[in-house]
Parts: sequence; C-alpha cells; structure tokens
Amino acid sequence: MSLEWRLAWRNVWRNPRRTGLTIAATVFAVVLVVFFVAMAAGLHEKMIEDAVRLQSGHVAVAGAGYFENRTLEQYVVVDPAVEAAFDGAEGVRAWAPRVLGFGLLSKETDARGVAVLGVDPEREPEVTTLAERVQRGAFVSNDTPRGIVLASRLADNLGAEVGDVLFLYSQAWTLESAFDLFTVVGVMKIPDVNMDRSFAVISLADARDFFVYGDRASEVAVLASDAEAAPLVAAGLRSTLEGAEPVDVRTWDRLMPELVQFIFLDDAAMYMLLVILVVVVGFGILNTILMAVLERTRELGVLLALGLRPMAVFRVVYVESLALAGVGLLLGLVLAIPLVLWFEGHPVALTGEMAAATELFGMEPVMTWKLKPLNPIGSTITILGVAALAAFYPAVKAARGRPVDALRSL
Amino acid sequence: MAILEARGVHKVYETRGVETTAVNGVDLALEPGEFTVLYGPSGCGKTTLLNLLGALDEPTRGTVHLLGRDLGQLSSAALAQLRLHELGFIFQAYNLIPVLTARENVEFVMELQGVPAGDRKARSDAILAEVGLAEMADKRPLEMSGGQQQRVAVARAIVGRPAVVLADEPTANLDSHTASALLDLMLQLNRESGVTFLFSTHDPMVIEKARRRVRLLDGRIEADEREA
Ligand SMILES: Nc1ncnc2c1ncn2[C@@H]1O[C@H](COP(=O)(O)OP(=O)(O)O)[C@@H](O)[C@H]1O
Ligand SMILES: [Mg+2]
Repeated sequence: MSLEWRLAWRNVWRNPRRTGLTIAATVFAVVLVVFFVAMAAGLHEKMIEDAVRLQSGHVAVAGAGYFENRTLEQYVVVDPAVEAAFDGAEGVRAWAPRVLGFGLLSKETDARGVAVLGVDPEREPEVTTLAERVQRGAFVSNDTPRGIVLASRLADNLGAEVGDVLFLYSQAWTLESAFDLFTVVGVMKIPDVNMDRSFAVISLADARDFFVYGDRASEVAVLASDAEAAPLVAAGLRSTLEGAEPVDVRTWDRLMPELVQFIFLDDAAMYMLLVILVVVVGFGILNTILMAVLERTRELGVLLALGLRPMAVFRVVYVESLALAGVGLLLGLVLAIPLVLWFEGHPVALTGEMAAATELFGMEPVMTWKLKPLNPIGSTITILGVAALAAFYPAVKAARGRPVDALRSL
Repeated sequence: MAILEARGVHKVYETRGVETTAVNGVDLALEPGEFTVLYGPSGCGKTTLLNLLGALDEPTRGTVHLLGRDLGQLSSAALAQLRLHELGFIFQAYNLIPVLTARENVEFVMELQGVPAGDRKARSDAILAEVGLAEMADKRPLEMSGGQQQRVAVARAIVGRPAVVLADEPTANLDSHTASALLDLMLQLNRESGVTFLFSTHDPMVIEKARRRVRLLDGRIEADEREA
C-alpha cells in the first residue's frame, strides 16, 4: 500500500467517535435500504404471482380482439398441433384452455346475469388457484357432467346451495339459443366483489358442448416459470402460433395494468423515503470529511509544501471519504444480507387492514422478502456515489488551499 | 553562481484596506553550501521572506531565482515539482504527518519523488540513524519529544537531496540544550552533504552557530556578515 493510501486510511480513524457515528449511520442506511427493497421485491413478486394464479396466468393467448370484446367470436383453436406448441414452448410451467361465455342463470323465478368460465378440471389447477377457492362442495370435474360452481355472492343472491339445479340460458357460438340444467357442485369465494356477484365455473367439455364451440377456446392461460420470464414466453408463443388464426398474446402486466400501477406507486413511495435516507447519510459523510479537512488545514499545507500536487491532495481526501463510506457499506451488507435471507425463509403473516388490503388483490396476507442481486449492487453504487459526491467539496477545498495560508493557520 | 537569489523583493499584505509591507526590497543570494541564519525581532519579515524564497508565496514586486529559474515564470505544478526535488522545509512546529511513523514521514518525500521502494527503505534507515533516531523509526510523532520530532523533520527535509533547506524558527519550541543539539546536527549535515541551509531565529545562542548572519529589520536587510 502506498503511503498516500496509508495516509488516507489512517486519517479515517483519527477521530474514532466521529468516524464511528458516520459509519453507524451508513450501516443503518444500508440495512434499511437492502431490507426495504427486498421487502418490496418480495411483496410485488408475491402480488404478481397470486394475481396471476387467481386469473389469467403470466401469459394469455386469445383470438385477436378477445381482450377488448370478450365474446365467443374471438377464439383460438386448440387442436393437437397447438397443444404441442404449448407443451413444447420454453419457460412454460403449465397451460390451460378456457371458454368464457355470458348468460342468464336462474333458480325458480330469480335470474342473474353471469360470466360462465369453462375450465379444464385437470389443467386449470396447475395454472390458477381457482379450484382452491371452493368453500363448500367441490370443483367441477369430468366425472360429474353439467356441474356448476358458483361464486359465493352469486349463490347468496340466487339462494342456491350445493345440490340445487339451476337453469342456464345463453346464445351458442352458432347463434342458436343455448339452454340447459346445471347442478350446483360447489361454492367458491372470489376476492373481487363484483366478480363474486356474477361468476360461475363449469367444465371445459360442458362449455364447449353448451356453446357449440368445438375445439375452440376463448383464451389459453399460461403459467411461466416466473413473472420475469413472461415476455420471453409470450414472444416464443407468438412466433410459434403465427400463421394459424390471428392471435393476441398478452403478458400479465398488460392483462393487469392496475397491478402494474400499484407496484409502480408502491416503489415510488419507497424509493422516495430511501432517497431521503441516503441524502441524510450523504450529509453525514460531507460533514465528517469537511470537519476533517478544516481541522487539518496546517497538515495539508505541510503536504503541499513538501511538493504533494493538488491532485494528490484531492485524492487523499477522496479516498478517505470513500473508505469511510466503504467500511459502513461493507458492514451494512454483512448485516443486511443474512437478515434478508433469513426473512426470505420466514414470511411474516399480516393482520388487520394490511391483510384486508392484500386480500383485495386476491393475495395471501403474508409478507415475503426477496433478495435480488441488483439490490446489494444498487445499494453499493448508491452509497459510494453519494460518498463521492459528498467528498467533492471538501476535497476541492483541500486541494485549492495555498500552502502559505495553510501554514500560517497555527 | 547563487543557488537561490532574491532581487528587489517586496511583499505587501493588504488586510481590510490596511497595507503592511512585510518585505521591503530585499536582495539576497545564497551560495552553494552556505549555512546562513536570518535573524531579527518578531514581525521583521523572516517568515514572509522564507515563504517567498521557498516558492510557497509570490512577491508583490521583485524576483526569486532558484537554480537560475525565475519562480515567477513557473506554473503552480512546476513550483510543486521544484519544492519536491530542490527544496526542503522545516517549520517551527507540527511539521510531521501525525498518522505516519517517523520512517513513513521520511519515506513520503522519496515516494513522491518516485524513488524505488528498496532505496527508500535504505535511505530512510540511514538518515534516521544519522539524526540519532534509529530506534524511533516506527514511532508516530505524538510518541516522540519535540526535539525528536524536529530531528525527523530535518531528516525529511534532507532525505530528498534538495538544493536548499529552508527552516523557519526550527528551534523556537525547544529548550536551549535541545536547540543547540539540533543546530549541531544541521551543521553536521551541511558539512557532510554540502546542502545549503537558510534558517531563521531570534535566539542569540543559535545565531552564533551560523557562518553567515543576515539581520532583517522592518523587511529590510540591515546587516549581512560572513565568518572568515
Ligand atoms: N497574511 C498576512 N496578512 C497581513 N499581514 C501579515 C501577514 N503575514 C504577516 N504579516 C505581517 O507582516 C509582517 C512580517 O511578518 P512575518 O513575516 O511573520 O515576520 P516574522 O516571521 O519575522 O515574525 C508583520 O508585521 C506581520 O504582521
Ligand atoms: Mg515568523
């Protein structure tokens, strides 16, 4: 180590209490930043995962125009070739075709408008958590034809219970009237209130039969390996399915813009707080280094008299500041990373208002942490960047000093 | 030829509109190997003149030449280089970098000069032995007495093999015995290495030791005597 570096490093420790306080503040900031960024990452990942598993998967493939109109006229044909395409697509964990129709569901004289979703009883549970939402009775299955699962508020409004027989009336794809009797096999709880009032599930086979839909599907819900893989999966499917019917392949962020917006606002609020925290730490470093430079005016004068160039004086002060921040950063990471990794393995259950809010999004009321590599890397760059900024003024001040002025100051 | 020469040098300070003429037309030439004292009462301009001669400050009027080069014509970077290679400084007090050991303080100058690490070690050991501080090499300034610190300062001033060593009241903070010993050390180094010394003082006992005595009064040279 050159004497210049040794000088800078030893200068860091000349005022142990002041240095200790500055380092403590830096450690505190680093731990908070890493912890909160990981908490937000965990929360957002879980929100996406839960929302995706509640509804549409990471990627939805539908006939062109389906997402705007949602009628039977937009469809994808799911023939063996298309099935093979989904099975063979890279990054696809599971996929499930669905048929969505609208109709009137009645019990005796009471009738309600409903969205009827036809799902594959085997495939659907691999993609979404719909089947887990059943509170009473069972989910649809291929063994009980003409079974229907009602959302809980819909069941309440109709006064229907498991075992009741309901009449479903609609229009088939062929434009003929479609009507049949369905037996309530289950009641499920849907977090979204509006959906809970007007949503029912039947089997894919029954839906295709009822709507005279052949091997068509309204959409195919695809579960990717994770949210970040969604764009790749979508691109892959787009290129494979091209040429057949015109299809619209959408990723979760386009399917759920409200969720994206929520995550954005949540991130913005958090980063604003973290920026304030980091700025405070920056002023702490500035104060420490400026004090150090002012205290050492005479010593810096001696260095200049010896022939140390102003640039080298600048460097000594700069290195001192970066070393100061570096020590705090290192200690902070040493504390924060194991802490966050521990929390990754030990999610915290939420209660009260927070729990209610997360459940609104169809999420489990659980707080999780996720340490992405960008988190400690970003924290490192931020803290060192702030230290570099904070050191600039004191370093320039030190380097600009004229030796005579410095030497006279004692 | 003079190694360091001031010609018609004036230095006027201005503080809040009040002008103080600290150096008032000084002509002074130091020949190689001279051991010169600059003496006079407090406030007569000794520090100011040494700063001007040492390229630490610029004269209001007049010129200073070091090894034939006009300091007024040089950039601040060139002056830093000149200070590094051709000048050694010893100040009244707080000369040393407190976080560096005696050896590191001495080596620092050589490191700046680009002397290879091996040579640095050998030269710093030799010079510390010469000033009688071989055992103190790894001590920091605060662990040393004032006299020992000034000896390290002398070692540091001379280790870079400068043309001239300038010392501003180097004995002012020392007791008379230690002051006398420091002067003897400087004299010995001057004899052995031929380095030119110019130091200031107002201590009569220390003035005695010099071979050339320049008396300064109100910024002017009043007397300039050489020993035969
Ligand atoms: N920076 C300065 N500003 C104004 N006046 C100064 C300054 N430095 C020195 N002086 C004045 O110049 C004169 C000479 O000072 P100095 O060179 O320090 O004398 P000495 O070293 O012989 O005591 C004194 O009158 C002193 O007050
Ligand atoms: Mg003085």
